[in-house]
Amino acid sequence: MSSTPEINPTEPQSASFLRWFRVVVILSVVVWLGFGVYQNTTNPEAERPFKLGLDLAGGSHLVYEADTSGVDPLEVPELMNALRDVIERRVNLFGVSEPIVQVESSSFVSENQIERLVVELPGVSDVAQAVAEIGRTPLLEFKLYSAELDQQQAANESLNALRETASSSGAVIGNVSINGEAVVETEEEILSPFVDTGLTGRYLETAALEFAGGNSGQLSNEPLVSVRFTSEGATLFADITRENTGEQLGIFLDGELLSAPVINEAITGGTAIISGGFTPDEARELARNLSFGALPVPITLQTTQTIGASLGAEVLDHGIKAAILGLSLVLTFMILWYRLPGLVAGISLLAYITIMLTLFQLIPVTLTAAGLAGLILSLGMAVDANVLVFERMKEEFRSGSSSRKAAETGFTRAWSAIRDGNITSLLSAIILFWFGTSIVKGFALVFGIGIIVSMFSALVITRTLLIALPDVKLRDKGLLSELLGSGIVFNRKLATLPKDTTSPDVGPQ
Amino acid sequence: MFAIIYKKIFLIIAAVIVTVCVALIAWFGLNPGIDFTGGSLTEVSYDVAPDKEQVEEQVATMDLGGVSIRVSLDDAGKDAYLIKTRDLKEAEREILAGMVTSLGEGGEITRFTSIGPVIGQELQDKAGWAVFGVVTIIILYIAFAFAGIGTPVSSWMYGLVTICVLIFDVLVPAALMAVLGYFLGVEADVLFVMALLAVLGYSVNDTIVVFDRVRENLKINRVEIKKEKKEAGLMHEEIEYRLTKPYEEIVGSAVQQSLARSINTSVTTLVTLSALYLLGGSVTQTFALVLFAGVLAGTYSSICVASPMVVAYAQWKGKKEAAMDAAMGVK
Repeated sequence: MSSTPEINPTEPQSASFLRWFRVVVILSVVVWLGFGVYQNTTNPEAERPFKLGLDLAGGSHLVYEADTSGVDPLEVPELMNALRDVIERRVNLFGVSEPIVQVESSSFVSENQIERLVVELPGVSDVAQAVAEIGRTPLLEFKLYSAELDQQQAANESLNALRETASSSGAVIGNVSINGEAVVETEEEILSPFVDTGLTGRYLETAALEFAGGNSGQLSNEPLVSVRFTSEGATLFADITRENTGEQLGIFLDGELLSAPVINEAITGGTAIISGGFTPDEARELARNLSFGALPVPITLQTTQTIGASLGAEVLDHGIKAAILGLSLVLTFMILWYRLPGLVAGISLLAYITIMLTLFQLIPVTLTAAGLAGLILSLGMAVDANVLVFERMKEEFRSGSSSRKAAETGFTRAWSAIRDGNITSLLSAIILFWFGTSIVKGFALVFGIGIIVSMFSALVITRTLLIALPDVKLRDKGLLSELLGSGIVFNRKLATLPKDTTSPDVGPQ
Repeated sequence: MFAIIYKKIFLIIAAVIVTVCVALIAWFGLNPGIDFTGGSLTEVSYDVAPDKEQVEEQVATMDLGGVSIRVSLDDAGKDAYLIKTRDLKEAEREILAGMVTSLGEGGEITRFTSIGPVIGQELQDKAGWAVFGVVTIIILYIAFAFAGIGTPVSSWMYGLVTICVLIFDVLVPAALMAVLGYFLGVEADVLFVMALLAVLGYSVNDTIVVFDRVRENLKINRVEIKKEKKEAGLMHEEIEYRLTKPYEEIVGSAVQQSLARSINTSVTTLVTLSALYLLGGSVTQTFALVLFAGVLAGTYSSICVASPMVVAYAQWKGKKEAAMDAAMGVK
């Protein structure tokens, strides 16, 4: 703490104390953050561990495309959210830790608006099982039987012939009992005679297993599934049944006709009963599937990506090793070249890494290979800011300024370059985040945060530490002067800088 | 400063590099990954791997369109094959997986990716728009940040030169990728685009640092000349700047002064990338290589292309104006 009095004789002691006080505060905060990161990483029960993306942790990445063609575009966001909730419940059932289910709309630059559902299952490398589990989710639809359509279609084959191949079953809707026929045929042939009513699983509130009481002509103890509609669904159901009394209402599960009971009268109670010759187990499963996930819109699997857990671990392991080696090489280079300021830069870079890791845990940012790339690039920017300042500082120091004055001028002079470089990078990051798909977004997010933090580390941490160093001049000679001067001299006759220095004099406050 | 004195040579070298790169890219073409085209990529690794022909034969029994099979190593260092096909349905995936894993001992699917063609197309569109947006914003920002730099080259020119340099910096790694794709079958996937974006950011930053020094030196080495003009009864004050040194000398000293910074920053970045290349897994290896080429190109261009281009433009403009003045004089 030996500030040489002959350079700045009027400087009060409190200023020197303040400089060191700032250093102590900054270093304590960084060490405290570092400790937090260490704890969160090593403690298996930590509240905020690192979130690793699938490419690092291993797992399955599934992208479903939702068919929203038959839906009012205004309703799409709401429907997609409902779909997400359903799939989320579904995915949660099979016990994966921290699955991610999210809706992704194709961006406004694409011609067709396509709604997608992205499902990420960390640790699940058996994608077949996952797909089967999600795929089992039934889509429940209620459709009206249209005799006209049917006649057109079944002109050649008589309806009776179709019915012969079908198993008949009884069904009850609400308090009305009727006998419906279950027709099993190829999809196109059965689907066509039925017209959409708009009533689907999205209006479903609950479904439960029941057994028929044996009255109203039903088989005694036949397993049934009773469903309760939401109030909106109940209204719709009441309207449909009122307007189509005497018609057949087909109940479809995943495009397959379960039963097609005849509507005897308007049903206003908001409940319906599905019967389809189930075994008790089938009925129980159907009830569970319906209440946990009758899909509001149909989906198809578009993209599958599986990364073996061992591969992910290798990538992470290699990445960490590379990062440690890279960082230590950079630090060595900085210290050899810039000596004492290089050491300061080293501390500042370590602080930068600590702050970044803390942010990753707190926000939290899901770490992917692309994100690590963003981190490396922003680390480069952080080093660059330091280098810019040190080069400027070196010029000042060599032209006779005291080291502290040189540092301050160095920061003032380097600021415009740091500002312009970082702002363009930040703008690029924002645009990439805006346009990009999820992997580009990961890169852009880390890069953007990295730029802001790197500016902070260079302009606040490096600056505070550098200014706290003892104040010497080049002509003082001695060890400190040697340590503060830096590197090989490229050109002994530096381009003559004007001595005016119109830059504001940033003295120690 | 050498870069300015020998600017013709450096610019010619740059032009040759650009021509070669464009030719390489045109000749070999980039090998687009399934991220962009849609399709499936299955990595199957073995303890004891079967012959490639055996795998090819087996896969050929399924009707999967154009199939390409490539020998590789998985990240644990085991022998593996990368099987590229059209995008697979779930059932097809299962059949393929069952077939190839049974071919050799310890067969295991270590990676599987299947991407629908729509998503691939959309990704291409998005990448295109993103690059367009970034380039536009850079030109606008530089024109804004360097506004008032005025004599003798307008701030728009600095923005334009930054973009030219950026194209140079991106072409070099892209050409490397084309060569790697042709000879080693390396694919240009999303991570490659990521690397190009990183190069783009690095390149712009590098150029800006040099131009920033030019801007500063121009401000130091100029004198203000105030002129009062009477126009429509109003007094206008016009400020003209005159440089106290030749423009090329000012730019030359700026390049000289930022030389140490350019080299140091490049060295630290290249060191980090080497570490990533040597120690990082196979996923990031190509990424590191592409970035390495981009940073090398960026270092060359920020020293030997950006400033020489601005100076060359200033001299061309000066000559043209002199010629015009002469023409006016003759009249």
